Amino acid sequence: MVEPREIILNALKEKRRKLLEHEALELIKAYGAPIADAGLAKTPEEAGELAETMGFPVVLKIVSPDISHKSDVGGVIVGVNSKEEAIEAAKKIIENVSKNVPSARIAGILVQKMAKKGLEIIVGGLRDNIFGPVVMFGLGGIFVEVLKDVSFRIAPISYEDAYEMMREIKSAKLLEGYRGQPPVDKKAIADIIIAVAKLLEENPEVDSVDLNPVIAYPDGAVVVDARVILKQ
Amino acid sequence: MIEKFFNPNSVAIVGASPKPGKVGNVILANFKKRFKGRIYPVNPKHEEIMGLKCYPSIKDLPETPDLVVIAIPAPKVPQVLRDAGEKGVKATIIISGGFRETGTEEGKRLEEEIVKISRKYGIRILGPNCLGIYDNWSGVDTFFLPDEKMMRPPKGKISFISQSGAFASALLDWMAYRNIGISRAISYGNKIDVDDVDLLDFLANDDKTGLIIMYLEGLKPGRGRLFIEKAREVVRKKPIVIYKAGKTSRGSTAAASHTAALAGNYSIYKAAIKQAGLIEAMSFDEIMDLSKILLTQPLMKGRKVYVVTDAGGVGVMLTDALTTEGFILPRSPADLKEELRKVLPPHCIVENPIDLTGDTDDDRYKVVLDILLPRDDVDAVVVGALPQVPGITSRLADYLAEARKYGKPIIAISIGSKEAERFKDLLEDKGIPVFESPERAARALRALYLYSKIRGVARE
Repeated sequence: MVEPREIILNALKEKRRKLLEHEALELIKAYGAPIADAGLAKTPEEAGELAETMGFPVVLKIVSPDISHKSDVGGVIVGVNSKEEAIEAAKKIIENVSKNVPSARIAGILVQKMAKKGLEIIVGGLRDNIFGPVVMFGLGGIFVEVLKDVSFRIAPISYEDAYEMMREIKSAKLLEGYRGQPPVDKKAIADIIIAVAKLLEENPEVDSVDLNPVIAYPDGAVVVDARVILKQ
Repeated sequence: MIEKFFNPNSVAIVGASPKPGKVGNVILANFKKRFKGRIYPVNPKHEEIMGLKCYPSIKDLPETPDLVVIAIPAPKVPQVLRDAGEKGVKATIIISGGFRETGTEEGKRLEEEIVKISRKYGIRILGPNCLGIYDNWSGVDTFFLPDEKMMRPPKGKISFISQSGAFASALLDWMAYRNIGISRAISYGNKIDVDDVDLLDFLANDDKTGLIIMYLEGLKPGRGRLFIEKAREVVRKKPIVIYKAGKTSRGSTAAASHTAALAGNYSIYKAAIKQAGLIEAMSFDEIMDLSKILLTQPLMKGRKVYVVTDAGGVGVMLTDALTTEGFILPRSPADLKEELRKVLPPHCIVENPIDLTGDTDDDRYKVVLDILLPRDDVDAVVVGALPQVPGITSRLADYLAEARKYGKPIIAISIGSKEAERFKDLLEDKGIPVFESPERAARALRALYLYSKIRGVARE
C-alpha cells in the first residue's frame, strides 16, 4: 500500500502536473474507492505475469508523462485473453508508441483487469478559488459530453448530499435501472464521490480529479480510469 | 463592529458640499433630513454647509465619529483614510469610484493602498465604488440619489445586500412606489473589506430584518465556505432570497480536466445556493414574488394544495402551474365533497379545483375556506378570485384575512385592470400575497415549500 502523500510529493518532485495512470488509481484507491485491478509492468514479460495473476480478460495501456490521448498513438489494446497475448500486446504498444511519439518517455505498461459491462458514470472534483474543493457527478458518454447533465456540491459533503447529487441530474431515472436492469448501487457511488471530496480536502496540491468512467453495478462500482491534475 | 455602520451616534461626511448635484451635497442633505445623531461635514473649502459647522479635516473634529462617509476623488482617499485612522475611526463607507473597477494600474494601486491603511489602523471599509447604506431606522443614507429621483420606501422587514449600486437604487425606488417596506439596504461595490459574510452575520441577529434579499455577482476568493456556513445559520431564523447575476459560463479557460470544463461558475454557485439553504429567484419579478410570500405566509407542512376559484379556466391554469412546480392537487375526498355540497349551490363544482362559478359572492369563499383550512389533508389554499365577477366585493379581502387564523398559507391570483389592482392592494395590505399569473403564484408557493423544507417543517 502506497502512502497517498508520497504519490503526490513524488510527482511534484519530478515536476509532473499530471499523475501517471497507476499513481492516480493508487491515490483514489487509498481513499477507499474500489478500482479495476491494475498494475504497472516495466517489461512485456512482467505484463504477461501481471495479467496472469489478475485473470483475463485484461486491457493494456501505455503509461507516459508525455502522452494524454493514448488510443490515438496505438497505446491501448483491449480484450487480451492470455499470458502470451499480453506479452505480444505489450511489445506492440511499445513499438507503436516509439514509432508515433519517438520523444515520449515510457514509464511502463498498465495492465488492468477489464471491467464487466455496467452503467458508465463520471465522478469528478476540482478546487474552486472561491469555494475550495467541489465534487461533480454525472452519467458517462453522451450524458456528460453532449447534455452536460451533471451535478455539483461543495465539499465537505454528507451521504445525503451525495444521494441528492444523483437524484438531481436529469437522467437520474437511468440509475434506477431501465430495460429490465436492476437499479445501480448508489451507496457504492456515494462512497466514490465522498472519496474524491476527501482526497481534495486532504491534499491541497491536487487541482482536479476525473474518474471517467466509473462503472456502476447493482452491487458495487469500480473506477476504471482516473486522471489527477496537480496545481501548477 | 458592523453595527456602527448602521447605528452610528455620529457621522463625518468627507466631501460634503453646498453645490447642488454633488454627491457630497446629496449625502449631507439625506443625513440632515433623517439622521438623529451628530453630523460633521468635512471640506477644507467651507466653514459652514446647510447650517452645520464644516471642518477642514477629520483631525479637526471635536470627537471621533462612529462612521466616516468618504465622497471625494479616489487619489485623495488614502490621505483621508490615514487621518481617520489617526483619529481612531473604525468604520468608513467609501462612496468614491476610481479604484480597481477602472481596470487601470493606478486604480489598482490606490485600492491596494487603502487596503493597507485600513489594516494598519483596523478600520473597516464598506466599498469603495458603492452607494453604501440606506437604513430606515437610524437614517443613515449614503445613497447619493436625491429623493425626487429615487423615492425612499417606508419602514419594513426586508433588508437587502446588493453587489450592484444601480440595482440597489432601482429596487429601492421600485419598492417605494409600491409601498413595500424596507429595513436596511446595502450596496458594497468593490467590497475590499466588509462583504456578504459580514453583512449576513449582522442581519442574522437584527430583529428589524425578517427577510434578506441578495443580489450577488460573485463572492470574494476563499470566502465561499464561510458564506455557506453563515447563510445556513441565518436561514434557520429568516429566509434569504438570492438573485445570482452572471450566470453564463466563465468560458473554458483551457480546462485541464473534464470536470473543470463542465464547471461553469454558475453551476458551482447553484450547488452553493442549495447547500446554504438559500431561495433562488430566477428573475427580477421573482425576487419580489418570493419575498412577499416568504415574508407574509406561515410555513407549509406538505404539498397538498386546494384551489378555490370563481372561474373554471383559472382553476385549470392553476392546476397545471401548481402540478408543474411539484404540488399535489388531491381529488376532493368524499367527506369533503359532501360537506361542500351542503353549503354550496348545486351548480358549484366541489372537486378540486373548487369552482364557485361566476355568480359567486364573497360568502361562498368564506364557507369553503372555513371547511378546507382546518383539514389535515390541506397544506395550502390558492384563491383565484377574478374581480370582474359582480358578486365579489372588498368583503372577500376581510374573509381571506380572517382565514389566516388557521395558520396555513393562503395566496391569491388576480388578473385584470383597475379593479384587479385595487383588489390586490387591499389583499396585500392584509397580508395575503397576490400574483398576476397562475405560474408566478405557483413558483412563489414552491419557494415557500422549499423554505418549509429547509426549516424542517415540510418533510417529503
